[in-house]
Amino acid sequence: MTIPQTTSSPPAPQPRVSRRTLLKGSVAAAVAIGAAALPSARSAAVEQPASGTPSGPFRKGSVIDCHAHLSHRSRATWEADDRKLIEAADKLGIDQLCCSTLTPRWPATLDGFRECNQWTADGMRRFPGRVLGYCYVNPGYGREALEEIRRYVGDHRFIGIKLYNEYTCTEPVVFPIVELAIELGVPILHHASHSHYFVEDQPRMSDGGHLAELARRYPEAMLICAHISGGGDWEWTIKALRNVPSVLLDTSGSVTDEGTVDMAAAVVGVDRLVFGCDSSMTAGVGKIRGANLSAQDKQKILGENMMKLLRRRKP
Amino acid sequence: MIVDVNAYLGHFAFRRLRHNTAAALLALMDSKEIDKAVVSSAGAITYRNAQAGNEEVAEEVRGHGDRLIPFAVINPFYAGWQDDLKICHEQFGMAGLRLYPKWHNYQLSSPCCRELVDAATERGILISIPIRVEDNRQRSWLLNVPDVPLEEIVELVKTHPKARFILLNGIGYTGCPLGRKDNGLPANYAIELSRLSAVLANELGQLITNLGAERVMFGTGMPFNYPDPALVKLEVLDASQANKEQIRSKNAMTWLGL
Repeated sequence: MTIPQTTSSPPAPQPRVSRRTLLKGSVAAAVAIGAAALPSARSAAVEQPASGTPSGPFRKGSVIDCHAHLSHRSRATWEADDRKLIEAADKLGIDQLCCSTLTPRWPATLDGFRECNQWTADGMRRFPGRVLGYCYVNPGYGREALEEIRRYVGDHRFIGIKLYNEYTCTEPVVFPIVELAIELGVPILHHASHSHYFVEDQPRMSDGGHLAELARRYPEAMLICAHISGGGDWEWTIKALRNVPSVLLDTSGSVTDEGTVDMAAAVVGVDRLVFGCDSSMTAGVGKIRGANLSAQDKQKILGENMMKLLRRRKP
Repeated sequence: MIVDVNAYLGHFAFRRLRHNTAAALLALMDSKEIDKAVVSSAGAITYRNAQAGNEEVAEEVRGHGDRLIPFAVINPFYAGWQDDLKICHEQFGMAGLRLYPKWHNYQLSSPCCRELVDAATERGILISIPIRVEDNRQRSWLLNVPDVPLEEIVELVKTHPKARFILLNGIGYTGCPLGRKDNGLPANYAIELSRLSAVLANELGQLITNLGAERVMFGTGMPFNYPDPALVKLEVLDASQANKEQIRSKNAMTWLGL
């Protein structure tokens, strides 16, 4: 399939939810509980307005959505939908979006995920500096899946790997993917959910417990447990991941339950939380704003933790 | 001014809620600059005798009537609901109802429910219906309560044109007659925004276009939910300041007679 090539630059972001606004909930909370106010030097850093394209790939103070998707091009509106994603990010003060393109049906075929990765690469070209790519593969394709990752993480500078529900992450077929991620020094964002019933349409769903098991097998892997706020019982997930320091928790998902981010911060620590939306944009931003955490901690979640992860990429 | 038509007090059976006393909720509201909130009992969702929850709420809101507006949870299949309705309205000053047809296991189309809706209408009080309480994927192993199908709401509003409904915690209205322009339905329902998208699909914007801003109300679902996502929606919504003001407070104030 021909991929339309465009070179238009993104519009200069004019966030309606500025960093100051995004972080103000914490300041209000700090005042309410009598905690120390945000140190002024740090305040200046996190309140620095976004303007134009970031000078480097990961600018200090950036807000990075660790879990986003570009539209599959079987949708007639894909181009407008992708544009809307960037516009939403602009409004919400999100600087960069770590995107994958997923197939509309699972398990993904070889041609299916290859096509998706081409489109993600094209998205990175269409929205330079805004869209960062995850390489999506079905681990069942073995050698071809590994080649795909090498091609896109290596040649196209994708920032990580996206795995969905084709296999539970503890199945041996997934291990070579994890080993390659370690070799390349990139994270794996793994779809996950824990419900207290069998999810019939996702029989090989991974959950926080599976990710913990995988992390124990590969402690050097950088694993991100996807959407704790869209993955069933979030309290279960947070507790399952308490003792595996190498797994980060992505705060994305449509569920806006009060206390989610606060409990995650209390149980696993803010250094292991990464901000995401997974297309639930106001939910994603609102949860962080609503959490009773310091502005410094929120900035870690909003971008610093993800930035740290991405800087571990091997040359 | 901000009026939240979707707030709660008390305990929920399956998850610990914070900010769930009147004092704590008011402190949360202060921190978010929310002036007033319509509250009902979270406990009554799973109590067999919902009136016990209404009594708890009546006790909690005492002295805070300027900011907390209590609604009653009534189960029309439970003995004595007529007495409960009378007490809630006349003694507790509750200005509306919250109905949980799926949690309380009855049909909105059942004669008992119709009788309750008629009784509420006769008293001039509002009827709010949470389409869901929490995301079904995180449900307890003990139960499986579905969302209220919007088609059932369509029939309800059609059957009771003089009643006034506020639909809470819903989504997907534009995919059914409730959210469509010129839908032939009475304009007797308003839609609360806590689960509506304000960007991407922007269902919130579509509803304003299709139904008018006067049919949309601000709500958070606190303390089940963080209030901030709903507040963020208002900030990023592409709408006139006048429309935002309607949504933020004016519509609720008008419907509540404040």
